[in-house]
Amino acid sequence: MTVDTKEPAGPAAESQEYVDVTERPTVTAKWVRRLAVASIAVAVGLPMLSLVVWSFAFRWNFPNLLPSEWGTQAWAYVADDSSRVVEGLWNSTKVAVLVTLLAIIVGLPASRALGQHEFKGKSAVEWVLMMPIIVPALVATMGIHQIFIRLRLTETLFGVALVHLIPAIPYFVLVMASVFANYGTALEETARTLGANKFRVFRYVTFPAISSGLLVASMFTFLISWGQYVTTLLIGGGTFVTLPLVLFPFLSGANHATAAAISLVFVAPAIIVLVFTSRQLGRESSVMGGFGRI
Amino acid sequence: MRNLKGTAWRWLLALLAFALIAAACGDDDDAETTETTAAATETTAAAATETTAAATETTAAATETTAAAAGTPFDAPGFGTWEEVLAAADGTTVNWFMWGGSDVINANVDNDIGDVIKEQFNITLNRVPADAADFVNKVLDESAAGVTEGGTIDLMWINGENFATLKNADLLYGPWSESLPNAIYVPWDDPALANDFGEPVEGLESPWGHAQFVMEYNTDFVAEAPTTFEALQAWIKENPGTFTYPAIPDFVGSVFIRHLFYWAAGGPEPFLGEFDQATFDQYAPAVWEYLNDIEPDLWRGGGTYPEGPAMADLLANQEVYFNMSYDPSRASTNIASGTYPESIRTFVFDTGTLSNNNYVAVPFNAANPAGAMVLANYIISPEFQLVMSDPDQWGWLVPTDPTTWPEEAQATFSSYGTGVATLPADVLNSHALPEPQGEWVTAMEAGWIENVLEK
Amino acid sequence: MARTTELTDLAERESLRSRLKIPLMLAPAVGIVVLLFGGGILVGLGQSLGYFPAIGLNEFTFEYYGSVLTDSNFLRSLWLTFRIAATATVLSSVLAVGFALVLRQKFAGSRLATFLFQIPLPVPHLVAASGIILLVTQSGLTARLAYALGIIDVPGDFPAMVFDEAGIAIILTFLWKEVPFVGLVVLAVLQSVGPQYEEQARTLGANGRQRFFNVLLPLIMPGIMSTSIIIFAFTFANYEIPLLLGTRFPSTLPVVAYRLYQDPDLALRPEAMAISIVLAIVALLLLIAYRRLARYAVR
Repeated sequence: MTVDTKEPAGPAAESQEYVDVTERPTVTAKWVRRLAVASIAVAVGLPMLSLVVWSFAFRWNFPNLLPSEWGTQAWAYVADDSSRVVEGLWNSTKVAVLVTLLAIIVGLPASRALGQHEFKGKSAVEWVLMMPIIVPALVATMGIHQIFIRLRLTETLFGVALVHLIPAIPYFVLVMASVFANYGTALEETARTLGANKFRVFRYVTFPAISSGLLVASMFTFLISWGQYVTTLLIGGGTFVTLPLVLFPFLSGANHATAAAISLVFVAPAIIVLVFTSRQLGRESSVMGGFGRI
Repeated sequence: MRNLKGTAWRWLLALLAFALIAAACGDDDDAETTETTAAATETTAAAATETTAAATETTAAATETTAAAAGTPFDAPGFGTWEEVLAAADGTTVNWFMWGGSDVINANVDNDIGDVIKEQFNITLNRVPADAADFVNKVLDESAAGVTEGGTIDLMWINGENFATLKNADLLYGPWSESLPNAIYVPWDDPALANDFGEPVEGLESPWGHAQFVMEYNTDFVAEAPTTFEALQAWIKENPGTFTYPAIPDFVGSVFIRHLFYWAAGGPEPFLGEFDQATFDQYAPAVWEYLNDIEPDLWRGGGTYPEGPAMADLLANQEVYFNMSYDPSRASTNIASGTYPESIRTFVFDTGTLSNNNYVAVPFNAANPAGAMVLANYIISPEFQLVMSDPDQWGWLVPTDPTTWPEEAQATFSSYGTGVATLPADVLNSHALPEPQGEWVTAMEAGWIENVLEK
Repeated sequence: MARTTELTDLAERESLRSRLKIPLMLAPAVGIVVLLFGGGILVGLGQSLGYFPAIGLNEFTFEYYGSVLTDSNFLRSLWLTFRIAATATVLSSVLAVGFALVLRQKFAGSRLATFLFQIPLPVPHLVAASGIILLVTQSGLTARLAYALGIIDVPGDFPAMVFDEAGIAIILTFLWKEVPFVGLVVLAVLQSVGPQYEEQARTLGANGRQRFFNVLLPLIMPGIMSTSIIIFAFTFANYEIPLLLGTRFPSTLPVVAYRLYQDPDLALRPEAMAISIVLAIVALLLLIAYRRLARYAVR
């Protein structure tokens, strides 16, 4: 668990986006590659595709390979107020955005301190910050539940956001500390010597340098909140309904069409977020690399 | 640098101390703190109710006759006439906690109850989908935390053990239900209704639905339904892997076990009174023997038991040929909604099947008991009971007595047919058995876990 | 004279500011984690030790730990939880390295393949489970395909992967989610390292296998170590996936603990808390041991 304050990686990383190591791929290597790509396509595509088909099925029992009757009743239910899907979508979005904002506010200074400064007790601080993703959080969630009942924070947007913030902070800090470590302080110091004030240094030097990393870190934070189930169930107390809570009862039942349609609503924003950050994920080695530095 | 380290650690220590204090504070049972918080966060709706309630109390205490003369007499804590309840409920929201795993029920409740009470009484229904265990817990938690008013739940769909838990902990509002204007349609003199799993209702909950256990089976694979436990046992042996029942504590799995106790004792009588260990020990071995005997021939070789909701999927897809339900019309509903294939039918055992009632109750700290009671009163009205019993709408069994309804409603009721896979009402009625007392259920469930599941 | 004092003051203020700077930067994040996470654990710890005044328990006792640790069902659940988490962690690490080695190459469609590989990353675990249920139950789409091909006659012939004691569907769901996570971390490490070490090794006559084990693996090992810690801790503590896809008995420890916690009988809560605390301690010990072992192995 050491976020090293390393010297900037420099632009070299940029040009090495796809490294062709096997210059002349052998026939076997080619087949291995094809097999790998095919298995990615099947493993990722099949579950997603079957969700899409199921969401338009009316009757689809064993052993039929395709629905024996098609229908849009699942989507009608999703659109109906009684399904609470729209409400859940809205609540999930509100919480996830709030969690992301809170994570940026509290996480950014901490990441910077860990990424760019050496100080005594650093590894202790890192340990403390990583605790929520290293120690199973179940007991903490149950304990928080009882504190929150007394503080009247259960069933509130803020209470749910606070409890989502616990796993979000470590992930955010891991990524951002790594991003800060990679950029170093040299450029900022030059700007400061040239007379730029604090705000201008941040606006014109620091922010452009970390922005793509920040985007990915925010994406992770958003998605951590987006996917929370037990914490929302406990702290939200059932009255604060997010999408996972709407989906869950259908997952254990026989109504696969409805489960599939809600799943698709649940996954769509996540995929949209990915489309926006996919390039950064592939290019910013320091971002994903941050997870390799516990 | 040493100073810096010192500062950092002091920070940490201070924060830790704060956490400790925060944690300890709540545990102190500090009534004052919690009450202040409660008062501060109280909604306007609750405040309004309270004012009315306070006003009512004085009126009621001063001159009971005046109160009665002013409107329909109604007797519930804080209210003296039904008009006061209606007035207090006007413009409020009712948080109704209920099981939410059926899209049909969810939509029905919102459309046929929510929309109507909005129109008729200006009450907004907020249906909260949750498991009974979760919301019973919430009431217990709020009580433990000293939240004595302005609680989250106004109305909840509970029965049996959960009712007994809350009643015995004195965490229910009431009595109120027998005094509802529409209580005249409820057969409160029927012990099967006046007792919820042997626990006297005593006005603390109002009926909401009637349920009776039925077996569902796939006629493509089961030519003749095994309507005795001996026939079922033989069938399972001949067709291994195609029968199972849900694991305890699922309530359907639990009722299946109860049937076996009735079978072992030759009837329900020994289990209707107070729990008695000797009686239990007399019949239990035969039940465990039966269940352990069929276990190797169950679905998955008895290696695991499914959760209740998963059973419908197993039946729909030929993994098993039987399912069981507390809702006699569910098979018809599931065929209509596309979940079940059209070959599913239902049967009851020759010796009968258990039946009981669903209830709604109001927790002790409900923010809006008036709204909750108006809703509870609406759902036992003949107007709604007709919607509920219509096989093309809800298709439920009704907890009220149709013979007490207005004649017009009775005529509509008798014109209803039955669902494609639903047994006729007279067959169900003639096979209905009473539920045992709650303590028996607890013992049977614990016994199953010890003697069947973990064996 | 006055000027000197002013300067000293300024210097002092400056040094105070710089001394406080880092603690102030860290305080909000550390504060939230310590208050919420630490506070929650303290309350849980208190209850597990019998301090639960709300239901009249005030005496500190180890009785709940005693009854938990001597229960053979607890050990069975612990083993199940560990087995599932460990299998998911090891398999996802191995598969991830394999995919990363393929995806770092440049070939026709490599960009698309990388994008596809990333898709599970943002997909919520519940949705992953939802898609996998449809495929792998004994009457799911794969079983139907097997039936159409005449491989099975009835659903019961198809291998049980859901509600099975091996926990195959649980592991598959975790793999589906975590392989891309580890894979992208490994990919990032490989890209930042660049090809020069491998080139050198090749010039020195190392074959593919030697290049992988002696050059690449040591480079990506720290990354794998950290991600496997994250994954293990996550899968070890996950509640909803084993609840949905696992057996009723034995259940994984988080499921057991949560069931006890939500039981209407509040007297069962100390036991729920004790199980959760033991779960946390076991996870922490396993991870410390793993780090020690991995460091030793790397050396």
